[in-house]
Amino acid sequence: MVTVYVMIKANTGEADRLRREIEELDGVDRAYIVAGDVDIVVRARLESTADVKDLVADGMHAISGVADTSTYIAMG
Amino acid sequence: MRFVIIGAGRVGLRTARVLQEEGHDVVLVERNQGRVERARRGGFSVIEGDGSREQVLESAGIDRADALGALTSDLNVNFAACLIGKHHGCRTVMRIDEDYREDIYRRYAEQVDEIVYPERLGAIGAKNAMLGGDIRAIADIAQNLQLVELTVTANSPTQGYTISEVQLPANARLLAIAKRGESIGLPDPDLSLEVGDRLVVLADFDVLEDVRQIVVGPEDAILSASE
Repeated sequence: MVTVYVMIKANTGEADRLRREIEELDGVDRAYIVAGDVDIVVRARLESTADVKDLVADGMHAISGVADTSTYIAMG
Repeated sequence: MRFVIIGAGRVGLRTARVLQEEGHDVVLVERNQGRVERARRGGFSVIEGDGSREQVLESAGIDRADALGALTSDLNVNFAACLIGKHHGCRTVMRIDEDYREDIYRRYAEQVDEIVYPERLGAIGAKNAMLGGDIRAIADIAQNLQLVELTVTANSPTQGYTISEVQLPANARLLAIAKRGESIGLPDPDLSLEVGDRLVVLADFDVLEDVRQIVVGPEDAILSASE
């Protein structure tokens, strides 16, 4: 099991829609709308690190309004 | 009134100057030493430090302040400052860095009373200057909605018609009118429009050009008239 945190920078004010669409992705545990230089922080639990690409590159970046992501894989 | 402003850059310093000129007490908080010195030379009271730290804001007198303006270019600092300011009972104003964030903060940031996006205000000023004298943007009400003041010219197709006869596009409303040289008031439907009259209209961006054509007149006609 791998836990990842993804920081998302948006380019739309539709934060509710973004959060909803992100939470529908496989493996996503919780998505929070946050204040600061990123807009949404996501926690996901995945089977393996290979699933990270599916979630972030294929899943999140396919959502309209996602401008940029930074992914952090939990180590301890 | 007493104000604490975080950030002595272009936005913060200018805001402080306007408030101070109007007789208010202003304390600036700035972490960059060069900016601190510049602001002090300009006659401002400045606390050197990080505006996202409670201790720093306390030494700036946050307890006695009526409002806090978090006006740095760093969104994290601005939000943290608003959190602290709200905790100390201040009205809080936060500067944002991109316009899409306005809706998000209005909706979710309970600690922030008001959002400012200086680039939008700057753009209104620049646009007014470029458009010339016949149309003047007063405010962006929302991303798609603008309040504008238009002046009736000799080329205006509405010239000579009464207000009740003027047909504006569906997404536009006439809110107020001023006869030439008179002060502005609510529109009287029987009033007829003459050169120099000013109309205040609330309009969607999509129909702004149509409104301009109707009230001010066609652009090429304006150009040829001024040649």
